[in-house]
Amino acid sequence: MNQPRAVAQFNYWHELVLFGLLIGLLGLAEYLSPGFLSLRGQLYLSRHLWVFAIMALSMTLIIIAGGIDLSVGSAMGLCAVAFGVTFEMTGQLPIAIIACLLTGVLGGLFNGALIARFKLHPLIVTLATYAAFRGMAEGISQGESYSQFGDRFSELSRATLLGIPLPGYLFFVLAVLVGLFLWRTPTGRSIYAIGHSAEAARFSGISVNRIRIGLYTFSGFLAGLATVIYVSRFDTAKADAGRGFELDVITAVVVGGTSIFGGRGTIVGTVLGLLLIHETRQFVGRYWQVDELKSIVVGVLLIVSVLIYQLLVRQRETRSH
Amino acid sequence: MTRNSKTETSAFARITTRREFGLAVLIALITIFVSFFDPRFLDAINLRDILVRCAPTAIVACGMMLVIVTAEIDISVGSLMALTAAAMGIMLSENEWNLSLWIGLPATLMLGTAVGLLTGLLVTVGKVPSIIVTLGLLTALRGFTTLMMGGKNIDGLPPSLQHAAKQGFWGIPLGVWVAACVLVMTLVIIAWTPLGRRIFAFGSSRYAATMCGLSEKPLKLFVFAYTGFLTALATIVDVPRLPTIESGIGLEFELLVVTCVVVGGVSINGGRGTLLGVLLAVVLMTMIRPVLTYLEIGEEAEKWTKAIQGTLIAIAVIGDSLLRRRRRGGPRS
Amino acid sequence: MTRSARFMLLLLISLISLGCRTESGTNVGDQDKLTVCLLPKIKGIPYFTSCHTGAQEAAAELGDIELIYDGPIDGDPKEQAELIEQWIVDGVDVICIAPNAPLVVANAMKEARDAGIHVVTWDADGVPESRSFFVNQATPESIGRGMVDVMIADVGPDQEGDVVIISSDATSANQNSWIDAMKPAIEESKLTLQTIKYPGENAANALADAQDLIKVYPNLKGIFGISSVSFPGAAEAVRQAGKSGEIKVTGLAVPSEMKSYVDDGTVNSVVLWNTKDLGYLTVQVAKALAEGRLTDSDTSLNAGRLGEIQIEGDNVLLGDVMVFNKDNIDSF
Repeated sequence: MNQPRAVAQFNYWHELVLFGLLIGLLGLAEYLSPGFLSLRGQLYLSRHLWVFAIMALSMTLIIIAGGIDLSVGSAMGLCAVAFGVTFEMTGQLPIAIIACLLTGVLGGLFNGALIARFKLHPLIVTLATYAAFRGMAEGISQGESYSQFGDRFSELSRATLLGIPLPGYLFFVLAVLVGLFLWRTPTGRSIYAIGHSAEAARFSGISVNRIRIGLYTFSGFLAGLATVIYVSRFDTAKADAGRGFELDVITAVVVGGTSIFGGRGTIVGTVLGLLLIHETRQFVGRYWQVDELKSIVVGVLLIVSVLIYQLLVRQRETRSH
Repeated sequence: MTRNSKTETSAFARITTRREFGLAVLIALITIFVSFFDPRFLDAINLRDILVRCAPTAIVACGMMLVIVTAEIDISVGSLMALTAAAMGIMLSENEWNLSLWIGLPATLMLGTAVGLLTGLLVTVGKVPSIIVTLGLLTALRGFTTLMMGGKNIDGLPPSLQHAAKQGFWGIPLGVWVAACVLVMTLVIIAWTPLGRRIFAFGSSRYAATMCGLSEKPLKLFVFAYTGFLTALATIVDVPRLPTIESGIGLEFELLVVTCVVVGGVSINGGRGTLLGVLLAVVLMTMIRPVLTYLEIGEEAEKWTKAIQGTLIAIAVIGDSLLRRRRRGGPRS
Repeated sequence: MTRSARFMLLLLISLISLGCRTESGTNVGDQDKLTVCLLPKIKGIPYFTSCHTGAQEAAAELGDIELIYDGPIDGDPKEQAELIEQWIVDGVDVICIAPNAPLVVANAMKEARDAGIHVVTWDADGVPESRSFFVNQATPESIGRGMVDVMIADVGPDQEGDVVIISSDATSANQNSWIDAMKPAIEESKLTLQTIKYPGENAANALADAQDLIKVYPNLKGIFGISSVSFPGAAEAVRQAGKSGEIKVTGLAVPSEMKSYVDDGTVNSVVLWNTKDLGYLTVQVAKALAEGRLTDSDTSLNAGRLGEIQIEGDNVLLGDVMVFNKDNIDSF
């Protein structure tokens, strides 16, 4: 019994379902809690989203390539401390920002080197750096928080152009760049190949090691970038920056349709996943005013989204994992 | 006559290159160093305290070891501990339902096992990757537990339970007894039952195992259910030691257990590892805190505790993997 | 353009056009009731739950208040900022926040004020420009010194000996501010501060640290347990070691949580204040502000069953730290 070819070849069911869910959620939210969909309100509350969103872009790439990065939250803590310490020593904002980005890059490079060159399992390596980065951040900063970076800096995360906050534009540009990279460039497409089978990819001439190192370094860089926005938003650079973020980012990426096994995923899906989780948390918070429910709903959403995908969509595919 | 290096390594070499040996040496070195600084570290009461603290981690690590051997993972054990603690508190506390121990304790164990089974079902039947299931449960169970406790802590556990957990029998607290039993039980499962052999066979090579007709579903269901059961058991023997039951119990516990299992030599790629290694790793990770206290490192250095722990974990985990790689003699992707 | 490209573009365009509705936010809840949001540092721990109880009493007494109580279950200050932002969009009347990290929430609080919402702080102060009033039960100095004074009294004013502090996280701003006040006070006394431990909010770690400290410092006379987790942990450790009465334990906690330790003599004194009154007063202040009854120049406020409450500048003073002991712990 053959299915219509168009349907069988359509690879984006997950994104479509997500889109439908998002519309459904927004509709339900507006119905139950009128005023939810105000543009002003949504944009204002979106500020929380940008930090995660930026890191979700690199996480998508990493997971498609069959890896994972549990250390992004802790990397933020280390970057924040680097930022704070550098600013305190030099009083120069640009230098502090560079220090922040550099710390992220170095951390990512460390991860990448261990995973790619020394062939250690990404879960283990990033679990270790998850603990190590956070610990070092706390030790170096002695638990102190750095602040007073100047009004212009706080404005950075707050300023809006046509109502949309600057970090939003940053994210949009990054998303388009990363999306095009993934979709259109040979390197980008090879990431899918690596996710399917690193061995086969290597035999095809793809420099798996170099790409992997690049991905983790990029992840570190974006963690640094996210930290700059984070510090600007909260006017504080402290070792506990980004605590728990890795879980939220991974959740968004996975809900967005990226398979944890690798080989599948899109930037559009990740964006949808981010929005779905963000809006769900907003809706739950607004309607029930009970903070605990947010964790429960997001946790269940994560499991259910993958479950549905596995049960329904995977049956159409003939791939064996 | 040339020596074939692969088949005729000396007994000495074979022992000293094993992970367990390295861990044992490390523990011994640290102990000697600290006792040199402060001989009271070796007091019976201190050793007993450290053993008691090892108990819950060791108990859950037995289950986690099997999970990781089958190439899965469970990062929800901390939140499950909180859930079972809250449930146990509600059932047994004199301020709450005040049920009998004979009802409350088995019920708590069943709750843990049920959640473990749920995890297993989602992984095997639902085909949801275990990292996802347990990640979702990590957040959902914690939120649910906080909701359940309604902003109040739970006191008033039965005195007999508290006494057993704190003082125990013949001077040894309940936790240590139970941990010993669990270790023996797990050892028996691994070494002497077909189930155990299948678990390791499956972990080593899924392909080969499936070709031989082994099915993975019952194995994986078992390991997750076992871990859930053990988490509830750990809760029962350890939580009554604490002053009160609060919603923050078990935070970051999963990190500790997974670290111990990995440092203990169990490979995330599946199929390897010994219980002895895991046990030694548990002791090593648990002794860090008291060692630092006995070394009297002073205020500023105390703030580096997390850094020290984190770096130790990183070194142990990464160094371990590097060594394994070198010994195996070749890259694997 | 490939089919998949067209599909992606379609998704994006629909998503963008989705956002283009321009309704303005409407109020949450009744229009004729005052919506007061009580935001604790941590939701779900007894200290703040008891403040909530007091706040509910005030709301019930005053009648026309819709009280919303919500907060981060893990004490995350970013979530506090998120909640404030959500309430700004919802259009509430008053936000009362116990900031866990004043700088982190300062901007959100200022924006709330810009949006016409009254903002007060309670339990811990925020950046002065970000709130109208601070319902102050005790300054970090009085809290820190209060604990040290209590310890000196418990141990004996002329006694020499070691003391240790068991805190929470190394990054915990409140605990750090209390420690800053405690250190000079301990210096002035005959006691010696040996070390400070940071077990985090982990009860097992706190218990372990306390147990080890008791073993390591034979001259230990007192333990300060300055978090809601480390105080019971320290008390439990002392009790388990059989040293109740020999080693004095004090700290901050909701008295009912420490009752069993006070009853058996492990803990002589619990430092705190009347948390229910704190919540009660906060709601009273909120209502007075919203109705315009409370202005910058006022020096006192009539706060229901609490009577006339003194106001110093922009601090509404609940009173001083209270010391709970065997005699009065039951009345709390």
